[in-house]
Amino acid sequence: MSANTSDPAVVLRNIAAVYEGERVPAIYDINFTVKQGELVSIIGPNGAGKTTLLETINGLLAYTAGQGYVFGKDIAVHSRMLRKHIGYVIQNFDIDALAPFLARDVVMSGRVGAIGPLRFPRPSDWHVVRDKMELVGMSSFSSRPAGKLSGGEFQKLLLARALAQEPRLLLLDEPFSHLDISARRQMSELLSRVNRTQEVTMVMVSHDLQSVPAACSRVVVMDRGRIIMQGAREEMISSAAVASIFREGDT
Amino acid sequence: MIALPSPLLITSMAAALLAGFVCSTVGIFVVRMNLSSIGYCMSHAAFAGAAFGIMAAIDPLVGAVIFSLGTALLIGPLGEKAKLESNVIIGFLFSVTIALAFIFLSMIPGQAASGTALRILWGSIFAVTHQMVLLLLLLAAALLAFVILFYKEIVAVLFHRKLAEAAGVNTTVFYFAILFFTAAAVSLSLRLVGGLLVFALIVNPTSTAYQFFYDFKKIVVASPLVGMASCLAGFFLSLLTDFPVGASIVIVSAGGFAASIAVSPKRRRGGSAAS
Repeated sequence: MSANTSDPAVVLRNIAAVYEGERVPAIYDINFTVKQGELVSIIGPNGAGKTTLLETINGLLAYTAGQGYVFGKDIAVHSRMLRKHIGYVIQNFDIDALAPFLARDVVMSGRVGAIGPLRFPRPSDWHVVRDKMELVGMSSFSSRPAGKLSGGEFQKLLLARALAQEPRLLLLDEPFSHLDISARRQMSELLSRVNRTQEVTMVMVSHDLQSVPAACSRVVVMDRGRIIMQGAREEMISSAAVASIFREGDT
Repeated sequence: MIALPSPLLITSMAAALLAGFVCSTVGIFVVRMNLSSIGYCMSHAAFAGAAFGIMAAIDPLVGAVIFSLGTALLIGPLGEKAKLESNVIIGFLFSVTIALAFIFLSMIPGQAASGTALRILWGSIFAVTHQMVLLLLLLAAALLAFVILFYKEIVAVLFHRKLAEAAGVNTTVFYFAILFFTAAAVSLSLRLVGGLLVFALIVNPTSTAYQFFYDFKKIVVASPLVGMASCLAGFFLSLLTDFPVGASIVIVSAGGFAASIAVSPKRRRGGSAAS
């Protein structure tokens, strides 16, 4: 992808998105910029529009107002091309225990867009797959059925799958769900390391204030479809306004 | 036992093997993508189309292909855009296609034509033609090419459609390709297996293969093999017992599925031998 390296990774201006059959926008008045190399967390209670925002960035959901750019390219025009450079770790989903997919094939499925049509995976592609599985600590799970993995292992597999794409931008939707405290810490350290060493820009969504990694450069707070504030991690965690939003979300 | 002249025996056997191959190959997609309700409607649309063909004095195969593909084109976007639940699709389209089939059947004049129509309902060895075998062969070749050339995209789409789309795969193209192949497989197998039962040939062999393997590659190989074996065994069962060939094939494939559930290593406690 020929994009200027000085272009911000993400620029959203006055974005609104409405789901099919709905009248009320799921997100609106979204003005949001992510610099290349940043690790940004988006937090907010359930239903705040966090997942919608991620899917607007990778073009899975077309926005209905405003302008959006990823690496300087218009999302509305280039979404399919851009998606080959945007990794996506979806919110953990239940996979059928009998599902016929081995862990290594799941990770390879992340490279499909990068490989392109009518080309078989080469040894170099399998090397990337092994490399990313090793990075997330799953190399010994290569031949295991994906449906037999625990929630935490499956979450790591989805991360390896997204990294196998060798993305420039990685969108993560609740990457700490299904993880216990120790696994959360490991995952948080892993994401920080990937962000730093692999030069991958990251936008991470979480509904839990405590899950925001220490390495996060900025925290964006969403509520009821719009961004209400943003700032440094410590500032947001100690903010009384943010705490009140989460209290309301719980009730 | 029915004694068939050898050219007819060879033609019918070839059709049975090819029908087993195409149906159980599309079954890999249909079962994994939960398209059973759509495929079920297609098989009955194909039956209605064949009945229309007889009524309108055109080749029933042409009617079946038109109705089945038409249904694919109609319910594809309905499933995609309107996000209709499978129960709604079955309740609405299944009843409409069956109602149409009965109307067309009632309008067919004469006893001979009614006999032809009934053969389409439950299938017949004698309904197999060279043209049908040739078309099945072409479809089998197209399906084989599709699976080989787009294997990695197929794995991505069947694992998780949204993630495949997020990785840059145009999943809508694959969805419609799968609907097209299902409609074609159903239409071309209709005269051998019968409109009421052809869908079982799509689901049973794949479901059997799914009981044994976790590796998708092995399922891609095993499902058509189980499908072809079921068709061949059902074909000879029909010759031996004079049962309708479609019913014999489906009974064999259903028996295979029931047995696979009983012996499936995936369902065994304390570790699995499945690969």
